[in-house]
Amino acid sequence: MTLQSTKFSVPSEKWKYKSKRSERTRSAVIFIASIFLLIYVLAPVGWLLSSSFQSEAEIVSVPPHWLPHEPTMENFNAIFFQEFEEVTYETRRKVDPAAGGYIPSTAKDLLPSMWNSFIISVAVVILNLVVGVPAAYAMAKIRFWGRQASVYTILTTRVIPDIALVVPFFLVIKNLGLLDHVMSLIITYLAITVPFTVFILVSYFESLPDELDKAARVDGCSRLQTLIQVFLPLARPSLVAVMLFAFLTSWNEFLLALMFTQTIASQTLPIIVASFTSDFTISFSFINAAGVVAIIPPVILALFFERYIVSGLTAGAVKG
Amino acid sequence: MAKYVSKLARREFLKVSAAVGALGSSGLINRAFAAGDTVNFMAWSAAVDLVKSHVAEFEKSIGIDVDYANAPWSNYRDNIITKFVGAAPLDMMWVSDAWLPEFADAGWIAPINKFDNLMKYNDEAEDFCNDSMTYKGMQYGLTYYTDFMAFLYDEDALKKAGIDAPPATWDEVTEQCLKIKSAGISEYPLMLALANESWLMNFLAAMVYSHGGRFTDEKGNAAMQSPTEGAVAALQWVVDAVHKHKIVSPACVETGELTGLKAFQSGNHAFALEPKYRMRPINDPKQSQIAGRCKQVLMPSSNGGAHNTVGWMRFHGMSSATAANQAHAERTAKLIEWFGGRANGAYKFQKYLFTDIGAGFGVKPLFNDKDVQASYNSYADVEMIKAQQALALKSDVVTPWYGEWQETNASSWQAAIVGKVSPQDAMTKAGDKWDNLKQEFS
Repeated sequence: MTLQSTKFSVPSEKWKYKSKRSERTRSAVIFIASIFLLIYVLAPVGWLLSSSFQSEAEIVSVPPHWLPHEPTMENFNAIFFQEFEEVTYETRRKVDPAAGGYIPSTAKDLLPSMWNSFIISVAVVILNLVVGVPAAYAMAKIRFWGRQASVYTILTTRVIPDIALVVPFFLVIKNLGLLDHVMSLIITYLAITVPFTVFILVSYFESLPDELDKAARVDGCSRLQTLIQVFLPLARPSLVAVMLFAFLTSWNEFLLALMFTQTIASQTLPIIVASFTSDFTISFSFINAAGVVAIIPPVILALFFERYIVSGLTAGAVKG
Repeated sequence: MAKYVSKLARREFLKVSAAVGALGSSGLINRAFAAGDTVNFMAWSAAVDLVKSHVAEFEKSIGIDVDYANAPWSNYRDNIITKFVGAAPLDMMWVSDAWLPEFADAGWIAPINKFDNLMKYNDEAEDFCNDSMTYKGMQYGLTYYTDFMAFLYDEDALKKAGIDAPPATWDEVTEQCLKIKSAGISEYPLMLALANESWLMNFLAAMVYSHGGRFTDEKGNAAMQSPTEGAVAALQWVVDAVHKHKIVSPACVETGELTGLKAFQSGNHAFALEPKYRMRPINDPKQSQIAGRCKQVLMPSSNGGAHNTVGWMRFHGMSSATAANQAHAERTAKLIEWFGGRANGAYKFQKYLFTDIGAGFGVKPLFNDKDVQASYNSYADVEMIKAQQALALKSDVVTPWYGEWQETNASSWQAAIVGKVSPQDAMTKAGDKWDNLKQEFS
């Protein structure tokens, strides 16, 4: 028994070597797998970026050119530097190679649509916090009749598929006189995002001890003060998660934007990008350039808040 | 104090909410769709600049304001139906011939027969176009554009394989594909885009009509399941091409029209079925690797088929709500005439649509236009186009139940192509579905 114990407590040199080797092998396998995963995930993005600098002829070359042989800024020039002028027979953009282009005439709408998307997304994020945070705090920390039912009712609204809501939403928006206005999207996106915001925040607030709430109240804080001064600083990861969710949902939403908007006064980025694919002549390289421009804001946001995202989404998930 | 602060905050919050609500319902941010004397014109997002320029000229010449809006083609139908159902202001719109029975039966679009200024153009339009806009004896618009499915080939690929002339029959297509494949020029010489999307029915119809078959008979009953006069032979040819000869990629069931176009432009294939207007970008050196090499030949025939293909068209229609208001209907009819008829004495819109983009026209006088002839001949053979257009047939499945039937039909074709069912069983299933739906709708 003593001998065996000694054997276990002092590993042999051979065992140490084997253990180290197996650890190195394991690390190498993980590293190689990570590289493959990285390539798998980043290759489409790489191609998106590369092809946006290629001409339409080069983009369909076989084999494909991962590095453009003749890089061109034509697509980005059309997006950023196309002049706004009155469209007449003389000034119309012909989809004619001889006239210099297969780039859609609506290329100039990309930036205004991006601005619309940005305004809508930011407004939805702010209103989500204004509505969602107090609602979640109340549901998590204030005991009132029908509390549980309220949580479930809010969640139930998300069970209804968006397509089933299109016509009712359309009638409401039309009667409000908000068709073709960004407000129509802000209002409807709130209906989509607030339930999720409340759900995530309720889970998070419930994971925080009730004693914090009681202590703040004993110290003289009002409910609002307790929420703002005690709970919000602790809920930062969850707040970031719901902000990102609300922003990205609004940024990418297509169906409702398609129904409620019809001019560049309110059309959002997904609608304009989709319109590039429905002209008689379609440029993949231009669509990819539009894609590059479109992913910049979400990517910046994701990078900026990266460390909060996972912790925010899983917060409260393992609460006992 | 805390209570006071809390109450104050709540009050402030309510005030701000009320202000936002009031702002929302006020005229400050209320930009409803244009109404009144303005004509609301909805289209899909194609040839946007040309449409804008033509609208601008209309406003200048006729003095009627137009509110032009567009939506992507892929979602246009859903969009416009929502607007019909929601009674949004909508006067003139682009309509596909495939939607006509559904829109007409629902009472969303109105006949134009009472407008003499529109009906007078029928004499100059292709009969096929007039037929496609007519439902239950009433005409619902003027042509916007028309086109047909064409059989295209890469001249260089054929030359490299030692082939002197393009195929005239589907058997010759098989032979030439095998020759090209064995020469290592292309793994899958024929490009068929049979993904389940809106283009699919046109590809299938072109295959069926050129094989001498039909989906329905003269009475509108299913004929597709007939082994001799239906769609079975065409489907059998595709199945053999995929499995027996391996000249068409098994991935054809996942290849959309646009993806197929780009694959053909990249030189991956020797033959392709494509809408005729695609010849222009295919022969454009800025967009294609096979520019200048793409030629058209009459759709191959088989089983007594006469090189038939399928033709389709889109038209300018008027909403029923607009037609109910005589003054507004007349304003809208003027805009329809401006686009679908003559504008200041000329078929300007159709001509520019063609010279700018290559989109086909449905008005015969334009074939005599020198600009049109020169434009066609710069990337195609105008005589070949005229010959094939004359052999184009109207789709025989345009009915109110088309959408529901097509779900079964598309999955039947795809199931046969991937080898799950026989072509005969697939077409029998599609035929049964057709007859059931016809009975339900009648």
